[in-house]
Amino acid sequence: MSLLVTASQIRGLPVVTVRGGEDIAEVRDVIYDPEAGRLVGLTLNRRGFLAGRTHDVLPVEAIHAIGQHAVMVLDASSLVDPKDAPDDVAHPATERNVLGDDVLTEGGTSLGKVTDLVLLVGSSGEVVGYQIDKADGGQGYIPLPAQLSVSGVALVVPTITEEFVQGDLVGLGATVDEFRHRLGLT
Amino acid sequence: MNDSFGHSAGRKVVSRASAKELGKVAHLLVDAQQRRIAAVVIGRGKKAQLVEWARLSGFGPDAVMVEDEGALRPPGDDRERSAADGKLELVGRRALSERGNELGTIDDVTFDADTGALVDLVIGKRSVPAGSLLGSGSYAVVLDKSQEP
Repeated sequence: MSLLVTASQIRGLPVVTVRGGEDIAEVRDVIYDPEAGRLVGLTLNRRGFLAGRTHDVLPVEAIHAIGQHAVMVLDASSLVDPKDAPDDVAHPATERNVLGDDVLTEGGTSLGKVTDLVLLVGSSGEVVGYQIDKADGGQGYIPLPAQLSVSGVALVVPTITEEFVQGDLVGLGATVDEFRHRLGLT
Repeated sequence: MNDSFGHSAGRKVVSRASAKELGKVAHLLVDAQQRRIAAVVIGRGKKAQLVEWARLSGFGPDAVMVEDEGALRPPGDDRERSAADGKLELVGRRALSERGNELGTIDDVTFDADTGALVDLVIGKRSVPAGSLLGSGSYAVVLDKSQEP
C-alpha cells in the first residue's frame, strides 16, 4: 500500500539537502499541472530569521524525495531562479488551479468540489487523487487516472470514479492501484 | 578499539611534546562523505580550537594526545566555525532518511579510535551502520533509504 500526503501537508515542510544536512528553504506552495496529473515544482519561503518569500523555485526534476517530514534535494544547486527554470514552473498558468473545481463524471454526476491534491510519498510528485468536499456533504478522496480533462471551473473524471470515493487517505492509498487497473491503465 | 562520541566528550587533550593539558574534547567534526572524524574541537565559544585527526598521536581511553601545541588552530571556515559552536554535533541531531521521513534522534556515534572511521550511529535501540550516512549538517543527519522501517 502506498503512503499518501495532501498538498497542504507539504506546505511548510523544510527543504533539506541530502549531502549537507541543512534546511535551505521551506515549501510555500505546490505548482501543479492538472492535465498531466503531476507536480511540476514547488515555490519556496526562506527559513529562520530571514523568513519570507524567495523567488527561487524547486523544479520537480530536482526533488530527491518528498517525505512526511521533509522535501529532500541533493544540494543547494537544486533551487533555481525562475528564469533558469522550465516554463511551466516559472510561469504556472493560474487557470490550472483546480482547487474549488467541480468534479463531474462523464455521466454528468457531480462528486463534489476539489479541496486539495493527494500525492504519493517518496515519489517525485505523482498526484494520485483529490480531496473533495462531497456534493452530499462531508469530506472524501477520489483516485485519479493519469490524465483528465480540466477547464478551470470543472474537471471530468471516468464514471467508475463514483465507486471509488474514499473516506480517508488510507482508503485512497488502498484503492488507487485497483482504480487504475479497472481503467486499464496498469 | 571502538570509542564513542558520548564517552569521549569532555576527555582531556594533552600535548605529547610538553605533557601539558591543552583543554577538553568539546565536539568531533565529521566528514560525512568520508564517514570519518575530520577534526577534534577543543574548548567552547570564542576560545574553541581545532586539531585535525592526522595531527593526533593517539585517541586514547584516558586522553587524546596531540603532537604538540602547534597542532591547534582556530576554525578556518564557516563549517569549522559552526562545528566550534556545536551546531554540527551529530549527537542529539534529528535523523532523516533520504526520502524525507524522520527516523529518530542520534543518541551516540561509535568510531574506530585508531583510524577515526565511524562505525555505527545509535538511534534509540537501533544501531545503524555508518555506511548509511549520506550527509550531516545543522538541521539533520541524512541516512540512506535502507534505514527506513
